[in-house]
Amino acid sequence: MQGEKPKSAKELAKELTAQYLEEARTAHEHGKYVAYTTAVSPVEIFVAHDIIPIYPENHSVACITKRLCTELSEAMENEGYTSHLCAYARCDLGYRLVGKSPMGGIPDPDFLLACNAQCFTLTKWFEVLSRQYRVPLFVFDTPQWIRDQEARKSILRYCVEQLKELISALEELTGKRFDYDRLREVVRLSDEASRLYRRFLDMASYKPSPITIFDALIHMAITVYLRGTPQAVLYYRTLVDEVQQKADRGEGAVPNERFRLYWENLPIWFKFRDHFNLLASYGAAILTSLYVHAWSYEFDLQKDPLETLAENYVSVFSNVTLEERAEMALDLFRRYSLNGMIMFINRSCKAVSFAVHELRDLLSEKTGIPALVFEADMGDPRFYSEAQIRTRIEAYLETLERLEG
Amino acid sequence: MKERLLERLLEVANKPFEALKDLRAKKKVIGSTLADVPEELIHAAGLHPFLILGTNEPIRVSAALMPDNCCSLARSNLELVLAYQPDFFDGFVLSQVCDTTQHLCDIWKRRFQDRYFENFLAPRQVSRPSARQWVAVEMRRLRESLGRYAGRAITDDDLRRSIRLFNENRALLRRLYDVKRRAPGLFSNREFFDVVKAAFFMDRSEHTELLKPLVQWAEGEAEKGAADGHFPAVVAGIVVEPPQIYDLLDEVGANVVADNLPTASRYIYYDVSEEGDPIEAMAERHVSRPNFSPINDQVERIYTDLIELYREYAAQAIFYIHIKYCESQDYDLPDIKRKMREEGIPMLVVETEYQSTHLALMKTRIEAFCEAVLGRV
Ligand code: SF4
Ligand code: SF4
Repeated sequence: MQGEKPKSAKELAKELTAQYLEEARTAHEHGKYVAYTTAVSPVEIFVAHDIIPIYPENHSVACITKRLCTELSEAMENEGYTSHLCAYARCDLGYRLVGKSPMGGIPDPDFLLACNAQCFTLTKWFEVLSRQYRVPLFVFDTPQWIRDQEARKSILRYCVEQLKELISALEELTGKRFDYDRLREVVRLSDEASRLYRRFLDMASYKPSPITIFDALIHMAITVYLRGTPQAVLYYRTLVDEVQQKADRGEGAVPNERFRLYWENLPIWFKFRDHFNLLASYGAAILTSLYVHAWSYEFDLQKDPLETLAENYVSVFSNVTLEERAEMALDLFRRYSLNGMIMFINRSCKAVSFAVHELRDLLSEKTGIPALVFEADMGDPRFYSEAQIRTRIEAYLETLERLEG
Repeated sequence: MKERLLERLLEVANKPFEALKDLRAKKKVIGSTLADVPEELIHAAGLHPFLILGTNEPIRVSAALMPDNCCSLARSNLELVLAYQPDFFDGFVLSQVCDTTQHLCDIWKRRFQDRYFENFLAPRQVSRPSARQWVAVEMRRLRESLGRYAGRAITDDDLRRSIRLFNENRALLRRLYDVKRRAPGLFSNREFFDVVKAAFFMDRSEHTELLKPLVQWAEGEAEKGAADGHFPAVVAGIVVEPPQIYDLLDEVGANVVADNLPTASRYIYYDVSEEGDPIEAMAERHVSRPNFSPINDQVERIYTDLIELYREYAAQAIFYIHIKYCESQDYDLPDIKRKMREEGIPMLVVETEYQSTHLALMKTRIEAFCEAVLGRV
């Protein structure tokens, strides 16, 4: 049979990203609106209302991997901001001053949504943008998902109430009535893509693992910005098939895999390749982190869509209690047979880093596995000491080797 | 006369743990952190609310528990309870307002597993109706929890009694603030804010009883205190620590006439209505308070509030007290500075850090600012 060869996940990703950016850039010409939002947020509501979500964080990651962070950060430091802020915010605020971008920039916002289950920083950063562009900022406030069933019920009610307020704000912005049937369909698609994404992440439980966290970090982009669309479903189906074939062939991502590691926190984006190579030379692979799992949602399609959205977003790992977060991590230790952990304290991100010392204690206590803890920054080489961190990673791997005997 | 009226209040403000060391023998002491924990609820449960405001003593244990770029307020709060006052508190109600406080709660709770512990999950947005509903729900949860701990349910009447007491206390503090504005010669900034501070720590009835004669005396003397040589100023920020900062303002002749501090105006302004459901009344007060940096409100209030205070009280300068590594203030500051420049309002940003504030340097900066901007030597 004639016909086009089906596209690989990589090709699809490229194509979808280009399409998405093009659509965002020409949104106004097509009578659409652009909203900035946080990576963890009920974006399904935007998709269902024809609003194109833009993630300044993703743009900042692109700036960081192209090594623009220091330059952009210095630009905003000259305007009086401090270098203590999250590197994403620093890249973004710097980009707005000097216009430098590895991908031709991102369109300006008509609306801003910050969900503080992810972090508090984003609210403050978006407040700056709200003043700058004179556009509304909606804070979706998600109280900590404490372990108290009664409290959880009220937290959910508060969150659902806010999603209704969000919908009213969007109706006001666009002058269009919100379509709940469409939302149901979008949530269904989002659910399908999220479950496939989780299946892809879970392929790391094979021995040897066909993927490492670096694959996860590359492939999570689509679910972050296209969940709720049929394209995202197609993409993850393709990806899962590809990785499954690799697993069936018994191909590991790292030759002679010996150490299967957990990584705490976001990655050090500009060191990504170096870390992979260094670890691989010891037969070590970082397989997972709670961070990449932050997008493996499971929506309950039997429930009211606003409720299942609220439930999923409020309970993200950065908004649960420390004990629950440790349990979430331990679940990964068990399912992926992990035997090492690198705990990165990220200067940029208080939301994820603040309680890392305690988390390490909890995890080491329960698993008996030693941990490497180090401080650096995910984006800014000024706060990253190459020699020191390299030596510590090597020393840690040697400890693991010794323990293995 | 003044010295005698102030003596106990200043002692409590400056050495609370010594001055109140027998507190625990009378009542169970519940420590809380900034901001906005509804103290009336703690009081109504027959417990003693005590605001934890950090320590300037050296850091010994908390450095190993949190990253270096944690604000010193949070760090020294934890230090205070772990290293310096491990036995002072029977329990805690901690407020979550930012990433730091949210995670601090988890660390804290794990260290005090034998004590009562509750989070106060304040809404971090206050401009929509849902916030008002939520804070009432959260206050009811806290009421239940405190009641369980105290072994008796908090009735509406208990709560009304506490509200009345706190309202009375706040009203007296406002009257005193009012005299201070008009009569800067009567008492210093340090004395006034120490009097407010004493309320965070001591029994509220005792504080009220001490305030009554003080306010009466101050109102009677107000005419005599309108001394020259002071200039009216606004103080902005979260906490003004170490309190010697107020001494520095006194030295340059600044008279603080207004502020937006959760440790001053946000604390004493607006009463809880004594009509209707007491929880609803407390929720109403909660959402109508002045703007507070970590709580999202209309985004321009970070400076419009200050400009209003500056104009309303005919101030000549704003002193913005910036806690190093406070992310919330870090995001606000450049826009506040720009706005003040545009409006021609003189503002000095003073950076502080528990443990390491360099007072001599700060003094030079404040003096230089007053000289250059206000022409005062
Ligand atoms: S890295 Fe952390 S602080 Fe920065 S935007 Fe992401 S979650 Fe927030
Ligand atoms: S609001 Fe600022 S000062 Fe207060 S705990 Fe958070 S970071 Fe620290």
